[in-house]
Amino acid sequence: MIVAENLTRVYTMGRVEVRALAGVSLEVARGEFVGIMGASGSGKSTLLHILGLLDRPTSGRVTIDGTDVLALSDQRRTQFRLNRLGYVFQDYALIGELTALENVYLTSLVRGAPKAEYLERSTDILRRVGLGDRIDHRQSELSGGEQQRVAIARALVNNPSILLADEPCANLDSQTSKSILDLFARLNEELDQTIVMVSHEDWHKEYFCRIVTLRDGLIGEMVECRKEPHPGGGA
Amino acid sequence: MFSGIRVSAFLAWKSIQRGSQGTLALTIMIIALIFVNLVFLPSIISGVVVTFDTQSIDFDVGNLVIEPREGSRYIDGVDGLQKKVEQIPGITGTSPRITAGATFFYRGRNAASTLYGITPEDERSVTRIAEYMTAGEFLSGGDTDAIIIGATLAGTEGVEEGGLPSLEGVEVGDSVEVAYPNGETRTYRVKGIFETQSFGVDTAAFVTTREMSGVLGLDDQASAILVKTAVNGREEAYKREILSYGVQEDVLTFREKSGGFVEQAIQSFNIINAISTLVSLIIAIVVVFIVIFINTVNRRRQIGILKAIGIDQQIIINSYVLQVLFITAVGALVGIGLNAGVTTYLTAYPLVFPGGPVYPDVEASAILRSIASLFAVSVVAGYIPAWRIAREDILTAIRG
Ligand SMILES: Nc1ncnc2c1ncn2[C@@H]1O[C@H](COP(=O)(O)OP(=O)(O)OP(=O)(O)O)[C@@H](O)[C@H]1O
Ligand SMILES: [Mg+2]
Repeated sequence: MIVAENLTRVYTMGRVEVRALAGVSLEVARGEFVGIMGASGSGKSTLLHILGLLDRPTSGRVTIDGTDVLALSDQRRTQFRLNRLGYVFQDYALIGELTALENVYLTSLVRGAPKAEYLERSTDILRRVGLGDRIDHRQSELSGGEQQRVAIARALVNNPSILLADEPCANLDSQTSKSILDLFARLNEELDQTIVMVSHEDWHKEYFCRIVTLRDGLIGEMVECRKEPHPGGGA
Repeated sequence: MFSGIRVSAFLAWKSIQRGSQGTLALTIMIIALIFVNLVFLPSIISGVVVTFDTQSIDFDVGNLVIEPREGSRYIDGVDGLQKKVEQIPGITGTSPRITAGATFFYRGRNAASTLYGITPEDERSVTRIAEYMTAGEFLSGGDTDAIIIGATLAGTEGVEEGGLPSLEGVEVGDSVEVAYPNGETRTYRVKGIFETQSFGVDTAAFVTTREMSGVLGLDDQASAILVKTAVNGREEAYKREILSYGVQEDVLTFREKSGGFVEQAIQSFNIINAISTLVSLIIAIVVVFIVIFINTVNRRRQIGILKAIGIDQQIIINSYVLQVLFITAVGALVGIGLNAGVTTYLTAYPLVFPGGPVYPDVEASAILRSIASLFAVSVVAGYIPAWRIAREDILTAIRG
């Protein structure tokens, strides 16, 4: 369970203050699939960064499964990200020197997984995002959409209990987007994974349990969408 | 911890493999050259010392010299003293020498230098001059009208030896007149010419003890007795041993005989060497620092991403340290190769010093010391820039 209370994030640029978040409170229950929507610049990425322990709010509190994550040392926050979170960056953020496969299994290597196991799991997840024949390509040898799917595979490979995805389908055609969202929905169902996903697309709404809309750094509206599993999910 | 090192090694290796090969090769080359610089000068210095020592021992004074006690010009009872010293285990030879300043005359030219009276068989048991005859033969015991002359003193027709005593063109079979300090003169037939490359020796000449004693009116006396020991480097111990046998004369090691000249030279060399080492190491620091600095600055975004996906900053820093270790290790290996090349060349074509030819003397300890200091310096120089970038805020780094 993620609890964010009264988050603000102020960027000071010289004299100008940008209030990217102006007091956001949000609770996400375990196993929920939450969509975050809103206009460009409304603070979606900023919120996700804070929930993903990549940034610290100017004020407010964040607890994840009872842990006050803002109180953790940088090293503990790194471990937390490694062991509990999967994060899909809006701009993919792949390691250019590594192949698709290496990008995906790197965190498993850090977790000390046996080689045979992480190779199999990483190859498998790349196949599931449709990149079975691209595993040895490096970033420069992949299309935008392919890079995005490598980033998704990297975030999913360790079955994190929380998946944070910043517009993971921005560069995908609707067919591929649908297969990715179906994959999310299935993981959400099968593994009870909590998913917070930023999206622009209206048709994504059918996948979300709840839609949080940001407007100028504040929550504009919060809509409960569905209670029963999405048809794309389930066994 | 172990998996951390594994990840660092993985990242380091990928970075080496897929980074710029040109930069890598250049960096390795610079480290290699720095290594050569670190090893080369000490090897020459140590070569100078070795040359001086072996030249002194082999041609000039042997391992030890027994000299007349304070106030006397000559050692008396040479025969008995020789027998006494030669019975000491580890002493393989003694050679009494009579020394006199003499003037040599040849075809209207003259030169002042040192004339020694030696007992040829004894001399062979101490010095190796007999093996370095470039013309003619060494003296034999019965020779009374023969002289052997050093190559410099013999000289070359028409060549002035730049201040060194030279008769400019003496050849075997020629006659040379010698004026002794007591006013006596003798004419000798040149029996041989030797060249040892020690200038103090090559400017001297030798006749037999029998001849010189006759001229100077000496009996069983010598100016010095040279002593040869089975192994070099234990002169101090032998000196104590000789003194403990009741020898009343002064006993000097070959180093003492040189009057501190070598010690002084070594000290000066060591200062030069220290400066050169310091400069080399500073260059190494700067080079490694710049390489890793540029490397990490170029990879700021990548470092941010690594941290974002949960990789500890120590793992990231270590991956750079490992890259540095790799570069230094390969650089040192290439350096050892280059140094072997230089050493081989200078062994074939040695540097010529006044004391004799100098061969580079590469000591294993100098190589180890250079490798150790290179590694120490590189690790520090690599760690600092990696640490600075790895500490940066994640999002700032990712935005680049
Ligand atoms: N590092 C920064 N420095 C200054 N201002 C920033 C910084 N990052 C974000 N902002 C500002 O904060 C606001 C919110 O940015 P954010 O990236 O969260 O928007 P977003 O909702 O994700 O937009 P988009 O849909 O375009 O990705 C924007 O006005 C942006 O200009
Ligand atoms: Mg955004």
